[in-house]
Amino acid sequence: MTDEITEGGAAGAPSKRQSWLIVPPSKRDEIEQAARSGADVLVLDLVELLPDREKSSARNVFRDAIAVAKAAGAEVFAQIDPSSAETDLRACVWPGLAGVVISRAESAAQVGEIGTLLDRLEMERGIAGGTVHLVAALETAQGNHAAHDILHASHRMFGATLGRADLVMDLRPEPSGEIHLMAYLMQRLIIITGTVGVTPLGAWWRAPDRGLLATPENTYNAAHRGRAIGFKGAMCLRPEQVEPLNRAFSG
Amino acid sequence: MPVVTARFVDNAWRRSCDFVIIDLEDSVPHHLKAHARTLVKDAIAKVSKGGAEAFVRINHDSMEEDVEASVWPGLKRIRYPKTEHAHEVHRLDALITRYEGARGVEPGTIEIDPSIETALGVANIFEIAAASARIREFGAATGGYDLSRDLGIEMFVDFDQFVYPRGEAELAARTLGLGVRTAPFVANTTGSVSDADRALRQAEAARKCGLRLGTGGLNPAVVENHNLGLTPTEEELRDAQWVLEQYRVVEESGAAWKTIGERVIDRYEAARAKELLEWAAACAERNREKAEAVARVKAQA
Repeated sequence: MTDEITEGGAAGAPSKRQSWLIVPPSKRDEIEQAARSGADVLVLDLVELLPDREKSSARNVFRDAIAVAKAAGAEVFAQIDPSSAETDLRACVWPGLAGVVISRAESAAQVGEIGTLLDRLEMERGIAGGTVHLVAALETAQGNHAAHDILHASHRMFGATLGRADLVMDLRPEPSGEIHLMAYLMQRLIIITGTVGVTPLGAWWRAPDRGLLATPENTYNAAHRGRAIGFKGAMCLRPEQVEPLNRAFSG
Repeated sequence: MPVVTARFVDNAWRRSCDFVIIDLEDSVPHHLKAHARTLVKDAIAKVSKGGAEAFVRINHDSMEEDVEASVWPGLKRIRYPKTEHAHEVHRLDALITRYEGARGVEPGTIEIDPSIETALGVANIFEIAAASARIREFGAATGGYDLSRDLGIEMFVDFDQFVYPRGEAELAARTLGLGVRTAPFVANTTGSVSDADRALRQAEAARKCGLRLGTGGLNPAVVENHNLGLTPTEEELRDAQWVLEQYRVVEESGAAWKTIGERVIDRYEAARAKELLEWAAACAERNREKAEAVARVKAQA
């Protein structure tokens, strides 16, 4: 990294994006239930929660899913797979979409390409230019190594998360209950998001929590610890995790 | 082990080690360094006859003489202490290349393991890990005695005092696709290097973390428990087979995941289960290799 460290980040970002609930876009009843959970952001996911054979039908219903999710007042993000970025973005960038989570983000070039696609789709679809935000999910070693460059690669960048790095990188619990390598990766992410001026999202999960899944009580404790080391909000996978996230990060 | 202590060198092959580190560095007193170099060639042959790989730990400040003394057929790896700059690794690589050619060793086969044992080494860690194609595993000594001395970190405490340097080493290794040679934190508040029970706990913790490369020890009393602790148990193997069966059901149902009680069954659990079965097979194969090597030695005796 030879770049001079400068301030960056998405302009005009709303202040309250503390609880992020990830939902499969193909299941209308789950989206409705999620929308009632009190989550600040619903992340309609085209990557993690769907088997491959359901991905194309999920893309087809994505525009309707945005409307269902927004009905209860949550903001809507889409989680996309960078290996099918163009197909995923064509399916999900419609008026009403607040942002895009790039799963397994690994390079500044990748973010640059996604930014260019967003420029085009915003213009084609009547969305004000530059308003769709980005969140980089740094779930691989390469992505974490290149974190600074990735987060600097677009003025759209709102925040960064380790996402499901514990599963993607296969990091498991140590005897202390800490998940291997995560203490280091979390602190590294918080320093780098601080230098770039974007929002660090995450919670300090401990065994037996895995892949953003935990009981409501463990979710609260993880979020409380996360807030204490600098995280400003966190993602989760179940509606009952939302209330503890809101409680831990606000107030 | 110190190359100058004949009884250690002569008996190492009986210990069932996967690798033996022949030491020219801290365990050899200064006045014996020149003598020690003359012993390396024979020591490589002796320590590896039970199936172990032979490594040599050289001295940071006498790289040229030590490499000349160490590059012989049978040498698997050179451990380079207190690495602080990528250019040191470039120089070591060039020296090894020269002696590989001169001594009939297949070019490019001898590996380099740069130890990170100083603050400057930690600061330059990624460039060091990326400095040579001979580096295939990385991280072994990060968080060891020398780093603790360099930084004034206490060694025998009951919390993980090396989160940052070890994290830096592991992220570099994973980014570059190198084998990760590290260990999860298990308290050693007594400083014992021969505590076999602690060695077992340490190796079991590493195995459960998914770490597959042992970090080695300083006393033969710990070898058996290191091997045992890194090898999957029967119960784990049965569980892995169960996970794979359950994941087949998940796939057939068209779902991405399901929960059974507290357990989540998804592609990540399936991948872990598959890896565990492959690792168990690799352990069994390695044990067979070592047993065959020992049997050959005994047959010749």
